[in-house]
Amino acid sequence: MARYGMVIDLDKCTGCRACMVACKVENNTPQGHFWMYVFRFEEGEYPNTRTWFMPRPCMHCDNAPCVKVCPVGARYKRLDGLTATDFDRCIGCRYCEVACPYGVNYFNWKKPEGNYYLDWDDPDLAEIVGDEKVVYANPDLDKAYGPEKRRIAGGGQAKGVMEKCTFCVHRLEKGLQPACAAICPTQAIKFGDLDDPESEVSQLLREKPHFRLLEEAGTSPRVFYIGQHAPNPSVRQIEEITVKV
Amino acid sequence: MSLSRRDFLKVSGVTGGALVAASRLLRLETLTAAGAESLQVEEKYIPTTCWIGKQDCGMLARVVNGRVVKLEGHPANPRNNGTLCPKGVGQIMSFYDPNRVKTPLIRTNAKGVPGEWRKASWDEALSLVAKKMNAAREKGGSKFVWQKGRSKAKKFYDKAFVAASGAFKLHHGAFCSDAGYRALEYTLGLHAVLHPDFKYTRYLLCWGWNVTNAGGNKFCWLTWPQKLVEAKERGMKMVAIDPRQRSAAHFADEWVPIKPGTDLALALALCNQLIANDTIDREYLTKYTNAPFLVGPDGLFLRAEPEGEEEAGAPLVWDTVSGAAVPYTAEGIQPALEGEYTVGGQRVKTAFELFKAHVAEYTPEMAAEVCGIEAAQIERMAREIGENAMIGSTITLDGHTMPYRPVGIMAYHMAQQELGFQAVRAMVMVMMLIGSIGAVGGQFSDFTWKEYKNWAKFEHLKVQDETNLYLKDSKFFPINSNNSSVVAHVINNLSEYGLDDEVVPDVVILHHVNPLGSFPDRNENFEAYKKIGFVAAIDPWISRTADYFADVILPAATIEKYEGPISASDFYTDAETLRIPPMDPLFDSKGDIDIYIDLCEAAGILYGEDGYIAQINKQLKLEGEYALPLDQKPEVRDIFDRYARSKGLEGGIEFFEKNGVNIKGPASVSKVYPYAMEEPFAGILPHRFYGESLLVAQNDMKAAGADEIYWRDYTPFPTWRELTAAQSPAEYDLNLISYHMIEFKQSRTPVPLLIEMAPKVFVEINPATARAKGIADGDEVWVESHNAITGETRKIKAVARYREGIRPDTVAMPHHYGEYVKHPWVKGQGPSPNELFFTGEGYVAQTADQTYLVRVKVTKA
Repeated sequence: MARYGMVIDLDKCTGCRACMVACKVENNTPQGHFWMYVFRFEEGEYPNTRTWFMPRPCMHCDNAPCVKVCPVGARYKRLDGLTATDFDRCIGCRYCEVACPYGVNYFNWKKPEGNYYLDWDDPDLAEIVGDEKVVYANPDLDKAYGPEKRRIAGGGQAKGVMEKCTFCVHRLEKGLQPACAAICPTQAIKFGDLDDPESEVSQLLREKPHFRLLEEAGTSPRVFYIGQHAPNPSVRQIEEITVKV
Repeated sequence: MSLSRRDFLKVSGVTGGALVAASRLLRLETLTAAGAESLQVEEKYIPTTCWIGKQDCGMLARVVNGRVVKLEGHPANPRNNGTLCPKGVGQIMSFYDPNRVKTPLIRTNAKGVPGEWRKASWDEALSLVAKKMNAAREKGGSKFVWQKGRSKAKKFYDKAFVAASGAFKLHHGAFCSDAGYRALEYTLGLHAVLHPDFKYTRYLLCWGWNVTNAGGNKFCWLTWPQKLVEAKERGMKMVAIDPRQRSAAHFADEWVPIKPGTDLALALALCNQLIANDTIDREYLTKYTNAPFLVGPDGLFLRAEPEGEEEAGAPLVWDTVSGAAVPYTAEGIQPALEGEYTVGGQRVKTAFELFKAHVAEYTPEMAAEVCGIEAAQIERMAREIGENAMIGSTITLDGHTMPYRPVGIMAYHMAQQELGFQAVRAMVMVMMLIGSIGAVGGQFSDFTWKEYKNWAKFEHLKVQDETNLYLKDSKFFPINSNNSSVVAHVINNLSEYGLDDEVVPDVVILHHVNPLGSFPDRNENFEAYKKIGFVAAIDPWISRTADYFADVILPAATIEKYEGPISASDFYTDAETLRIPPMDPLFDSKGDIDIYIDLCEAAGILYGEDGYIAQINKQLKLEGEYALPLDQKPEVRDIFDRYARSKGLEGGIEFFEKNGVNIKGPASVSKVYPYAMEEPFAGILPHRFYGESLLVAQNDMKAAGADEIYWRDYTPFPTWRELTAAQSPAEYDLNLISYHMIEFKQSRTPVPLLIEMAPKVFVEINPATARAKGIADGDEVWVESHNAITGETRKIKAVARYREGIRPDTVAMPHHYGEYVKHPWVKGQGPSPNELFFTGEGYVAQTADQTYLVRVKVTKA
């Protein structure tokens, strides 16, 4: 069985944030939720300054702190390496959010249907597209996935539920790349089977130096970075996205 | 994974179009079948193209039960290879946006304030516009004005409308990169700016080209960064010349933080050093440029005696074989590139000899002082340019042995500066010195060497009394980029330009253009629009201009319409595509071409020999069986069906509806490289190293009584002078520049998914500068600009953001704010820097091109 992982080449990332938007459209995540977030960094002082970028999805850790703290088993590891969230089982305790050192969990504080950027309750539009809760609703997201047949795809499921990057589990079953990897203009985001030595991701990890975020936390992330270096306290975030949730 | 994008790309590559199309189709059908079975829904992928930006990336609209749920990159389109930028994927939200203009609107309140509207039928709105338009057309001149922002796809339906209606046309180019276009048209005869041959280049000067944010020559964003990343993997070295580091990101090997607007001085210093290091390509300069032409003391070329003819003869060169001055066109001669000679009793020099003397004062130290950088950095760049140019080397591609000069410049929007025309000319001259123009790995601009109409026109620049609204052929701007803010300035100051009310438009049609939102100077434009009787806007949104001044708004569709044809070439592969509607036009909107057809019908200019249909036939070259009947109202789909069939595509429009893109194959070596052409450089020779006609224009302008501010930059060689902005009082101590953000560049629409990521305007400031002024990161500040010519000041409020990657004497603001459209997501986003820039003398280039540089002071609010 494939065991998936992601390799992000920071030497190729232009920081355009297309992956963030592709994720939001594909997964119908509500306003203020960025399952994929692209950091824009600056370090050094003028004129010895460097600018670089770092996409941050969920790390899908093998030793996932969020899974350990979930009191109801809503957050769980799948055999294919994905760290999944069963929306039907989640009780909204937010322990996972506290336990995660990467800040990748997004809680539905509001009713998702009222949190999609615009007032979609428009009779002219309803005539055209019907009464979708979000006008570009992806029909794949309500299905159950995996041998376990649990509802683990997509965002905006219900108020009081925790959500995060799913590695686009609904696309994987169709043989498609996650939305972020598929759209990346410079192909900086690679996704594939880390157990297959011939996969592109495995080859990249053999050929190039790489690092994982907060290696010292012992979380064993399934997301690897090549190029640049791990962020440290001397790296400043620029063009930070701040939203009200 | 059964199929990744990469696997698919392996299949598509640059192989034959049919193969690509077939494999893609197979994939789509498989996917559709699987999807339909498992989801109990009807699912299909409709190929279309992006509606944002200028390069119309290929897209696949995923349509479920008749509803578009996602826009993805079309894998076979060479421009985007299956990917999209954030705007491309995010535009789905604006596609459905209930804030779109849903029906035709007619104004019910006074103009000059935010509009109030009533819904109207298409018939009523179109009859009103047609009636007003016809009344203005009868008066002629500039009474009926048609203005468009960026044209999407081939401009055939635009040109057809202008031809059929006789409209006076305004553009957007003078706010984009037209100064660069004019420089290339003048120097090389090509209608484009600058890009390198990414496939082969070894050394790239990324000159004000914002890799990670802006577009670039020919493309809006995505294609060039893809090529850059490939070239970097290959080991190409890149130098970023820019006041802000963001453009360099981490792709640059070196950052040259140049002072804004001083690029001309840097380019001439590089020329100085290339000559000093003797890294110049004498063969190119002698054979393909006017550098060996003999120049008399009056600055004009020596010419062969006119033999009974009125026009002067061919310019002379010094033939080293015969030791005499002979026409440069003579057979069997060996012109001298350098030296001083005696001809007809007077001492004359070659243009190149004059250039050596001209650039002698542009030492690295002099330029370092002007540009605010290190002299050693300039020396190093010049050395690296010279070394990497490998002058004398050749390479053989497809049987053609050609010069190999793997050094190039990428530059585009930076051309919009006070010395823009001459700065870009100076940059081209750097490349001319090393013989990089059109060489493999060298300097390119257009996709092929094709003579642009201005090449011949610029040989004799018209400086005449009779002029028009944009001061065409005038003593003010003989080379003229048709700047609509200059038009506004002229309307507000008619007598200064010898014009009267006769030229003030009665009717303006605005098509996807928003002067009050997009162009500086906002104040000039606002005042000018007050004087215009009737304004109609064709737009999916209520733009700021429409909100304040439109009498009628006609709702245009976005991606949901047929439009094209659209080049899908990425420079190395030839391809063509069309925009195909994935759904019917939303609400009561219509495709742009439908609107023009209906408008022309209402105005009585649709049918007949000179009508709109006839002009469409002419523009699309629809002849014989493919021609549209002149007495029958056409369906837009049928226009493109005829077009596709006329191009030999079996199935006509259905080919594009199925496949999206027609891959014609790799661009041939003889199309891309001018040295491989039957006639090198397609015969557009000699390249204008020396700008003789600029000097002639200067003389004519002086004779016509023009002020120095107009003629001072009409010099044969680019010449540095202090910028107007630098003459502002010392308290205005910072240079303000503006820039694009990838989230918004050319987005034309308010996309909430993108606005969420950068909701409010800000001003970037170096922390050292800010601290000295007591400004903390995140403080609200006043930014106050000063016009050095008129003394006018303007100020706006914004949030200060610390950035180490910007010069301490420069602050920068993104363009994309200022409530440019009526939409809940732009309310309260803060002002646009366009409110701080000025237009008019001192703040436009010699080509009437808009600048984006002004002196400001920044104080804590």
